[in-house]
Amino acid sequence: MSVLMRATEVIKRPVVTLAGEAVAQVKDIVYEGDGGHVGGFTLAGRGLFAGPLKVALGWESVSALGNDALMIRDEGVFEAPEQVVSRSTARRGDVLGSRVMTDDGTELGTITDVILGVTDVADVIGYEIDSSPALGKDGRRVLIPLPDTLSISGEALMLPSAAKEFVSDDLAGFGAAVQEFRTRLAGGGAT
Amino acid sequence: MRFSEAKNHRVMSVNDAATVGKVQRIAVDPTTSTIAGLKLRKTPGEGDSLAWSELSAFGRDAVTIDSADRIVRATGDLQRLLGKDHAVLGKRVLSVGGVDLGTVTDVDFDMGSGAVISVITERHEIPGSGIVGLGSYALVVDTARP
Repeated sequence: MSVLMRATEVIKRPVVTLAGEAVAQVKDIVYEGDGGHVGGFTLAGRGLFAGPLKVALGWESVSALGNDALMIRDEGVFEAPEQVVSRSTARRGDVLGSRVMTDDGTELGTITDVILGVTDVADVIGYEIDSSPALGKDGRRVLIPLPDTLSISGEALMLPSAAKEFVSDDLAGFGAAVQEFRTRLAGGGAT
Repeated sequence: MRFSEAKNHRVMSVNDAATVGKVQRIAVDPTTSTIAGLKLRKTPGEGDSLAWSELSAFGRDAVTIDSADRIVRATGDLQRLLGKDHAVLGKRVLSVGGVDLGTVTDVDFDMGSGAVISVITERHEIPGSGIVGLGSYALVVDTARP
């Protein structure tokens, strides 16, 4: 069972040791594998005026990423920020504001958030977008599923047109929509 | 017995049948899931701490010790666990999966052994054996642990 969460909600989440001490908060998410999954996190100190910390966290050192805290064994798992950031193959997690297009030339909207599906890994499984009129959702924010692999540039993200049929209004049920969408693509069914 | 019932429990010394303090706070050792000791108020001397091993008995109506000399100023681990930032009541509870399970409203413990039987939050009751860690931020529990 994967837990779905918005990437923006992971920012500022406390980093807590199994001994119950909050030792940092998440500053930013580092994506790797062409932005397909989370490779690690940069960290900031806790509290209003705390600045960035000179340590970071690789995904393999995370005991669990839950809805209320990011759990680690202890502070011994921290790494130098360069080590974590260098894994980022491209700045492709940085997609907020990018346009989402389908391969039949329809603009679906602009990206407002990244949706993560968290199990032993944290996969980017979808985006939240401000929907365009083409989706007929009155411009509301909706969730669109991503295929396993996708084409993305600094300018736009290109999705199979079938993605339109698997749009969700909220996280409940979105996991199933992503599965169905990917199954459809894998099956090579007609679109 | 519950922490809520044990608070303000009278502490009596057996040798002179005198009240030598009242229970103010109960400390939990997360590594053993047992009571580490008691912080007292209204003690006769400078000391205000009692290690669990120093008790004669934790009774239904009073805690007994053989003499007031058992009450000391805590040092080391006991001092840390008796500190306000390690107080269990009111502490946030996090699962090892990073999910908030509420705050501790009460703790049930065995008066004989000092073992924590369960930790109670607004929505959950977690067996004492599930305690993984206790820090200033949270009590971390593994709800899958038998």
